[in-house]
Amino acid sequence: MAIDQMVYSYVVKEETFPDAAVIIQEGIKNDCVYVILEGNVKIKKRISRGQVTLANLKKGTVLGEMAFLDTAEGIRSVSAVAADGPVRVGLLDNQRLIHDYEAVPPRIKYLIKSLVKRLQAANEKLCDIVADTK
Amino acid sequence: MAMKKSNRKPPPIVNLKYRKGELIIKENDYGISIYKIITGKVQIFTHSGDKEIALALLCPGEIFGEMAFLSKDTEVRSASAKAEQDSELEVWHPDLLSQEYDNMPPIIKHITDEALNRLIRMNRLIAQMTSRKEEEKTSGKQQNSGRRHYRKEVDLPCTYRPVGSSSRRRLNGIVKNISLSGANVEIREKTAAKFSYDPGDEFHIDLTLPGDKNVHFTAKVMSSRNPRVSGMLSLGMVFTDMREGTQKDLGFFLMP
Repeated sequence: MAIDQMVYSYVVKEETFPDAAVIIQEGIKNDCVYVILEGNVKIKKRISRGQVTLANLKKGTVLGEMAFLDTAEGIRSVSAVAADGPVRVGLLDNQRLIHDYEAVPPRIKYLIKSLVKRLQAANEKLCDIVADTK
Repeated sequence: MAMKKSNRKPPPIVNLKYRKGELIIKENDYGISIYKIITGKVQIFTHSGDKEIALALLCPGEIFGEMAFLSKDTEVRSASAKAEQDSELEVWHPDLLSQEYDNMPPIIKHITDEALNRLIRMNRLIAQMTSRKEEEKTSGKQQNSGRRHYRKEVDLPCTYRPVGSSSRRRLNGIVKNISLSGANVEIREKTAAKFSYDPGDEFHIDLTLPGDKNVHFTAKVMSSRNPRVSGMLSLGMVFTDMREGTQKDLGFFLMP
């Protein structure tokens, strides 16, 4: 996947993570948003026994948008881990994003929040299914 | 989505009542309204074959139908919704929000779109895993009734590589038992260290069945544990993709 030029224009800093390094840590309060510039990233969530991989993300994908869009909480509900080698990510300009998000009309914000909530619930549901299968 | 800017007065918000069990949204139907629950409860579900698979139970104050609205490319419903109890809903015509949607900063649209696509994928995965689990339960029952033996103990060498890996290198493993829906594969922990074997990780697997039938399939890790033999890792896997020919060969091999 190519990197969207509009998204790239928000990158203020690039960071490289070695293989298996944690880019986003579940449970931590942080609402930074990243874009994957190079490499693969696994999205994982803790269950009582180990971790479940929820998604494999590739170059060009935005990371960390859930905690950002769920502005009331801003707590990471999943982890993002470098997979199959080192990963280079671009950190998006948080101040600019917050400024842009403030311009979103209230009813659309309501829809976005509902979407994020549903995504969090879907992640948990999948974890339950996997935990139940073990 | 066709959202014409016009000076027409936006359509009013209407309230609708649904009786328990009534269908509100049908998957794959064309539909653009957004619903807010005033009273009652709404079940979001999808279909796998002729089975219904529950995705979410929504309560008053919650919204549904927003996915088709927010999605840039499709106005088709990605899941169904029905009243779980007698429910009163507020129905918003998308024209109410179209101008607001157009005024959204492009970066926020882009980020929202990614969250939306991820939710669609997650729902698909939930549906797949739920129906597979039910299939396994059913085949387990059949096994208990002693009519047929679907899972066979074997000791067959296989080769595998992770789906999506750029390396074409193949690693060796041993299939310990196999059924029509999945297999148990043992690998050496030393070899295993190259890749991760978390639940959800997918692998291409090649295997020669007795009778020199070469079969190929992809399978997803459901569980991993250390068996009695030290230095080995035992993976419980379910098949995610298998060609019809393979299915036939495997079915033939598994016949009692």
